[in-house]
Formats: sequence, structure tokens, C-alpha cells
Amino acid sequence: MWRLKKPFAIYIFLLFLLVPVNAFAEEFKVESGRSIQSAVEGAGNGDIILVSPGVYKENVMINKEITIKGEEGAIIDGGGKGNVIIVRASNVVLEGLTIQNSGTGQEDSGIYIKKAHHNVIKNNTLKNVQNGIYIANSNENKLLGNRIASNESHFSKRGNGIHMFKGGGHLLKENEIANVQDGIYFDFTKGIKLQGNHISESRYGMHMMFSEDILAEKNLVEKNVTGLMVMGSARIDFIENKVTDHFHFRGYGILIYETKDVLVEGNEILRNSTGLSLEYGVDTLVNRNQIAANQVGLEFMGKNENSTFSENNFIGNVVQSKIAGENMRLDDGVKGNYWDDYSSFDLSGDGVGEEAYKAGSLYDRLLRKQPYWQFFFESPSIKLWTKAEALFPSFGSADVYDARPLIEPVTMLQKTEQNSKDRRIPGMIGILFILLSILVIVKGRKLR
Amino acid sequence: MNKKLGVLLIMSAAIISGCNNSTMEPEEINPEIDVCEVCNMSIANENYATEVVTADGEVYKFDDIGCMDEFMEREAPLKEENAAKQYVRDVDTGEWVELEKAFHAYHPDFWTPMANGVVSFKDKESAEKYVNEQGMGEVLDYESLENHEWSWEQ
Repeated sequence: MWRLKKPFAIYIFLLFLLVPVNAFAEEFKVESGRSIQSAVEGAGNGDIILVSPGVYKENVMINKEITIKGEEGAIIDGGGKGNVIIVRASNVVLEGLTIQNSGTGQEDSGIYIKKAHHNVIKNNTLKNVQNGIYIANSNENKLLGNRIASNESHFSKRGNGIHMFKGGGHLLKENEIANVQDGIYFDFTKGIKLQGNHISESRYGMHMMFSEDILAEKNLVEKNVTGLMVMGSARIDFIENKVTDHFHFRGYGILIYETKDVLVEGNEILRNSTGLSLEYGVDTLVNRNQIAANQVGLEFMGKNENSTFSENNFIGNVVQSKIAGENMRLDDGVKGNYWDDYSSFDLSGDGVGEEAYKAGSLYDRLLRKQPYWQFFFESPSIKLWTKAEALFPSFGSADVYDARPLIEPVTMLQKTEQNSKDRRIPGMIGILFILLSILVIVKGRKLR
Repeated sequence: MNKKLGVLLIMSAAIISGCNNSTMEPEEINPEIDVCEVCNMSIANENYATEVVTADGEVYKFDDIGCMDEFMEREAPLKEENAAKQYVRDVDTGEWVELEKAFHAYHPDFWTPMANGVVSFKDKESAEKYVNEQGMGEVLDYESLENHEWSWEQ
């Protein structure tokens, strides 16, 4: 009996010996001048590799579940060849590294992740790379607080900040992306969450191609050619972002093309060539946005089905709306939008204008066919034409109107909080002064 | 005096007509300005750009060969003989090639700006080389491209 069980006992003993080795992750330290790759080869799943400051000229391939942490000044330099770091394993953590000089091929990247899941890429600096982080056929990776810039050339020669191809479920939070082709490129990807990212000085801030279920919240997209470019996608939620300063020739704040189920809510769309443009959109919901100081506030082209606009503020746009599309209603039946060039009155006192606001003019359609007619912008003849059109509707332009135009601009949530705070302080000071003066008066009287 | 004026008129007429793109040659792409006629996307990936040049000198630019095909479907009169020439670029060199003479590599997973998966080349060898390198896809010539079902048609 004992003889038979002995091998089993040894086996179990050995198993116990093995478990702690795996559970207590080993820590390796790579000193400057050594190779990170050989440290990776020597490591096992769950191990941590600490990288000392220094420049490591190598391309690293990771095929194990390990953590690589860079101390400040740890630089991995790809030497202008291929990908700097390739991740082919899941549960990898890359943190605090500076990653630079990838190749210039179309898919060459600072960090290239393929068929790998649940990885965390955190607080890295990527510079002079073709693409920053390229994630192909992978699921549920987290990219947090990385700084990404491509090379010093025209945007047509650069790659994208973060490129996602197929797969999905990723979380992109607080990344800082500048000087790339497209900040974040969605290529047939699904279920992405974006929060607090800052994208600037690139071609498109976010570029969604054939992607679905995307939630972008509280991002800042500024000074690109176009802020948000959506094409052939579905179920996009774009909430409380700031899209500003896209003053490029043919630049847009938000351009939505052939896309279904888009929610644009609570955004600030300021100072763009064209604020918001819709072409062949289906079920687009645009609520409570601040659309102000754009060259053109709102643009419709082609056919848009079932779009709803409510409680948006259109303020101080040079051209409020440009309509080269088909008939459409711009309110949800209860509430419309605030248009600062609305010139009728609210007689019933319910905050809604009695006459419908008419968007666009015949001139817009002509412009679509004859772009050079822009020359006649604000000329007396065009003004006369627009006026005549207002007096005699159905003069030829599409019938796009807001039947419930608001008389007062909508106060946005973020602003009311600020206002109430601001109001409290002067109020307190006022009360203080009144008390002081009462005191002075009462005391003064007594003294006499 | 009259004769001089006549010569001047003829010369100026010649200069004006000289500006006309009667040879139907393709035009350089300016990624800073040019956008696709169909999908509005700026033409940043210059070597994937395509062009339609019409007999009356109009140049239409596209970011992807699929958009050009969609445009030609829409503008049926351009399909008539000699009304327009279609150009694609060799993806390696950026050389302009007439669509009839070009060869293409196709696989739905090949990246192109509009995800049509058709990449163009100046000759059959380069297209075959690309397919071999990628380890997937097929080579299309002008005729098989005519019968190709584009992603936007599905």
C-alpha cells in the first residue's frame, strides 16, 4: 500500500513546491547596457521586469504574461525598424516606458498588440513612431494615460495615434495624442469606451470606420483638420466632449456619414469651419449641445432619416445652417433649439416662439453645385434673394425648420454649477456690506 | 492694327484652351486640400488615391478605388466612350496608371482607406508579389474588377 502511494505523495509535494514559485512573482532588474529581450526570455508568467534608466536599442517581443515597468528615463529605441514592442501574450502590463523610433511601414508601431487580451498599457511615452499603439484582433485591453506623437512630417506620411483593428472591448482613458495622422482610428471594432483623452494637431481626432457600440465621454479634441469623423458605423454615443478650433480648409467639428444610431449630447462644438455635418445619417439624436462661433453651425447633405434635434444652442455662427439635403424637422415636437438669429416672438409666454424657425436658404443648394458662388456671400443680391425666400416659402430650397424654437438659450448643466457658485460669493459680500452699513447707521445714531 | 488685334485674340484663345486638360492626364494630389468626391475623407494616403479625368477637363479625386467605382455608377454618362479616363496609382511607387492597364490585389482584410480591400499595381508581377507577401488574396485584372462585388454594394 505505502509503496503504491509514495510516488503520489512525492508528486503532491512537488506540486506544493511549484505553486509558491508561480504565486510569488519574481522581480528582475534590467540594468542599462543589458537587453530587455533576454530578461523577457528568462522570465516566467507573472514575473515583473524593472527597467533602469538608459537607452535600450532593441525590438522587444513579449510572448509571456509579464509586467515591464520602466523607471524614469528608461528608453526603448527601435532604431527605425519594425515595431518597437510586440505583444503577443495576454495579461501583459507595460508601464512608465519611453518608446521611440519605430519603422515607417504602414503598420509599424511603438507598441503592436496582436491576438492578445486584457493587457494594460499605462503611462508610457511614445514618440517618433509611425503608429503609436496598434491593436489588432484583440479584446479588452486598457490604454491609460499614454502620451503619443508620431514623426515630424506631413500628416499624410504619419500613422495613427491608437489604431484598433477588429476585436473590441477596449478602454482608452486620459491618453494625450498629438501630431499623428488620425488620433484614434476605429477599424471594424466594437464596444470601445473613451474617456478624458486629449487629441490635437492631427488630421482627424477620432476616425470611426465600420465600427459599433462606441462611447466617447469628456474628451477634448482640438486643432485637428476634423474633430470627429464617423463613417459606416452604428450606435455611437458622443457625450460631453469639447470639439474646438478645427479651422482647416474643409475642416469639421463633427462629420457623420452613412451612420446609424448616433447620440450627440452635451458637447461644446466651438470655432470650427463647420460645426456639425450630417450626410446619409439614420436615427441621429442631437441634444443639449453648445454649437457656437463656427463658420457654419449645422450642415445637412443628401438624405438624413429620422434625425432629432432638441435644446441645442446655436449662437454666433457666421452661417447658422447650410442645407443641401432634403426636408427635415429640427425639433422633437415639444422642444426645439435656440437660434440666435430667430426674429419672431413668444406671445403665449411658454418660452417657445410662435413662428417656426427656417434653416438654410436657396443659396446653400446653389453653393453645393457651384462652389465658386461663395464669392457672392452676403452680397446684396443674395440677401435680397434670402429675404424674398423668407417671405415666400417653398421657393425651391429644402423645407428644414424648427417648429418649436426656444426664446432663451438653454443653460447647460456644467455651466449652471459654476454660475450658482459664482452667484453665492457676491451675495455673501452683499449681505456683509448691508450688515456693516446697518451697524454703522445704528452705532452712528447712538453716538449722536 | 486690326491684324495685330486678331493675332492677340488668337494667341489668348490658344493660351486659354491650353489651360484645358485636353490630354486627360491625372493631376497631383495635395493631401492638405483634396478630399474624396464621394465620402468627404481627406486624401492622406496618397498612394491609394484614384482620379477620374473627364474630356472637358474636370478632375474628380477619390481616396479609394471603391469610391471611384461608386462615382462612376452614379455618373453613368461618363462611362460612354472617351468621356472620361480613370486612373489608379501603383501603391508602391505612386505612379499613375490607367485603370484598364492596372492590376489589383484583393482580399477583404487588406487595408485601404475605405476598407474595400482592393490595392492597385502597375503590373501583374507586383500584384502577385503583394499577394505572396501577405499570404492571402487574389489578383484581379480590369475585367475581373468589372465583375467584382464592392463592399458598398453588399
